[in-house]
Amino acid sequence: MNKKKLTSLVLAACMAASLTACGTSSTKTSTSPAASAAAGASGKTITIGTISPNTGSLAAYGSAVTTAVDLAVSEINAAGGINGSQVKVVNADDQFDPTECLNAFNSLVSQGIGLIVGSVTSGCTSAITDAANEEKVCLLTPSATADSITTKDDFVFRACYADSFQGAIAAAYAKQKGFTDVGVVYCAADTYSKGLYDSFSAACTKYGVNVKAVQSTASLDVQDYTNQFTAMQKAGLKFVYAPYYYDVIGPYVVPQARAAGYKGIIMGADGYDGTPKYVAKGADLSVFNDVYWTNHYDPADTSTKVQSFVKAYEAKYNSTPNAISALAYDAVYMYKQAIEKAKSTEPQAVRDALADTTAVYTGVTGTFSLDSTGTPAKGASIISFTSDGTSVTTKLVDVVKELPKA
Amino acid sequence: MLRSPAFLIERWQLTHVSTLIQTLIVGLRLGSIYALVALGYTMVYGIIRLINFAHGDFIMVGGYTMIFTMPLALALGLPVWVSVIFAILACALVGMSTELIAYRPIRKKGTSMTALITAIAVSMILENLAQAIPPIGPNPIVTSQIFSTGGFSVAGVTMEWTTVLTIVISAIVMIVLYEFTQKTRMGRAMRCVSEDKEASILMGIDVNNTILLTFGIGSGLSAIAALMYLGQYPKVYTTMGVMLGLKAFVAAVLGGIGIIPGAMVGGLIIGLVESFTTTYVSSSMADTFVFLILIIVLIIKPAGLLGKNVGEKV
Repeated sequence: MNKKKLTSLVLAACMAASLTACGTSSTKTSTSPAASAAAGASGKTITIGTISPNTGSLAAYGSAVTTAVDLAVSEINAAGGINGSQVKVVNADDQFDPTECLNAFNSLVSQGIGLIVGSVTSGCTSAITDAANEEKVCLLTPSATADSITTKDDFVFRACYADSFQGAIAAAYAKQKGFTDVGVVYCAADTYSKGLYDSFSAACTKYGVNVKAVQSTASLDVQDYTNQFTAMQKAGLKFVYAPYYYDVIGPYVVPQARAAGYKGIIMGADGYDGTPKYVAKGADLSVFNDVYWTNHYDPADTSTKVQSFVKAYEAKYNSTPNAISALAYDAVYMYKQAIEKAKSTEPQAVRDALADTTAVYTGVTGTFSLDSTGTPAKGASIISFTSDGTSVTTKLVDVVKELPKA
Repeated sequence: MLRSPAFLIERWQLTHVSTLIQTLIVGLRLGSIYALVALGYTMVYGIIRLINFAHGDFIMVGGYTMIFTMPLALALGLPVWVSVIFAILACALVGMSTELIAYRPIRKKGTSMTALITAIAVSMILENLAQAIPPIGPNPIVTSQIFSTGGFSVAGVTMEWTTVLTIVISAIVMIVLYEFTQKTRMGRAMRCVSEDKEASILMGIDVNNTILLTFGIGSGLSAIAALMYLGQYPKVYTTMGVMLGLKAFVAAVLGGIGIIPGAMVGGLIIGLVESFTTTYVSSSMADTFVFLILIIVLIIKPAGLLGKNVGEKV
């Protein structure tokens, strides 16, 4: 009796865990995808769908996308729309959950939308790329950097560079700064983190930098990183690549790494964007010195394109746009350019326009063309955190246009 | 060339002892939190044989209450941890309302299984309700530093005072709870209700009030757990109680659910297993080992480490 009861308790516990995993679901009914996905542009308005994590642990990215897309669309509509048609946006929430992302995608497609901006994270976007190709729906992700997102000339495009570039820049930076041995702490279960680890270590091999120690975490919900950084410190390393998102970098990773005695450089990628808002007030924030990361743009860039975007965004939303906002803004204008070129809103025609590798896009995040896989070739900014102990600010360190030779 | 054993031992000590101590400290840090949370599970289970799956979410309630009352504590010139008093009140209130609104009517009508499912439902209601409240919302919030940093060093590794404090508080709570159930009138009433509800009524014990009080105490404990958790891991989000609650539940079962010292033992073991797996086996297998240990212990000792194998009176 007792044994049985305990077994059932454990089963119940497992059930509770699996249930709560979907506990935060807002019920997005996924009806069967409509046969004619092209209907999106019927009539006088052009409908663009967006998918973003509006709720969940990366909700800051969701609002970054929705605000920037609204800004771009209202600018376009004020200037007369695209080919004379006004633009409308339908947003769907993926909750930073791949299953919910597919539901969100299906819901947009069933509404007849054929042009989609999304999703934000590599983990979610990788869940819908196959569906986009099957449904012949254009999918333009602002910020999914994992290499695996688009490897072929298909319906999937992006406005950001890929991780093979982003990880390689970090490796090149380590070499440039004279580090011969480096370490990595990453999340083995996340597409983004794992992808960056792979590209970083591949680039290290290319540049002759030795990846001496590698530690991982089983999920992005882990709250203690002390043992991982103790291992880095014991290995005598002064440069650790830690590709995580802002919501663990601020409260957990950096303070714990320093508390574990690790004093060297911590380097990351675009997921660090937004960290200064996620640090414990009143704690010693000088631990954030010597933290570097690669990003898509720098809001302090003095070029007119960047400044007019930053000013318009600040005027409308009263906050400085982050890189995800800049990329989402660029993504809308990429669609605009492609629709104007195709003189159609048919997904197939827009796809063909986007697939043209000679088209040049002038965006906030740089002037670029897409390669044959649909990934832009453009530069990255290396940014560092600086802190006086009570607050954390960002500082532009370097702008890398192309990778150095091995 | 062979080196002398003394040299090798010295070298081994230099490189490995500090790693060992660091791993031990991280394990104690995690374990002390699990122990505090597990006490709440075990307490409620001990009295009404209900696994209150919403207990993990009470921690979230405590965390948010502290976030919103911290400015108040600061304005009164008090240290930020004073906000835990508001959190205890809020958690006890939520816990007792849960008992009154959900568990009590269900217990009257249904079986222990329906009560269990209700507990899972309450857990999800709390998580989603919290997300729907505008000041909470879906974004995680990072709290202010609650305790000043610092500690003492062993072999070059710093043991933070917060960790020591968490272990001490867990131990005090455990002893007080144990003494409370053994020595006081209310505690005796709780044990009576636990053994035989009908007989308790005949003895003049107000069963409903006793259960309500148990929920009040158990939920209030989750606010203390929230304080210690946020002291070390300063981030609050609506699903923060899910994994924390699950691991604490595992800790309670491992130590012997319903047995107060068992929760403490179980919590510390789970924390240490997690930490040692990270350092010495594989950092991405920590959870695998935690649950593996649970299965092994339950096969060998189904009633938990401190539990006695007695036939359950039904």
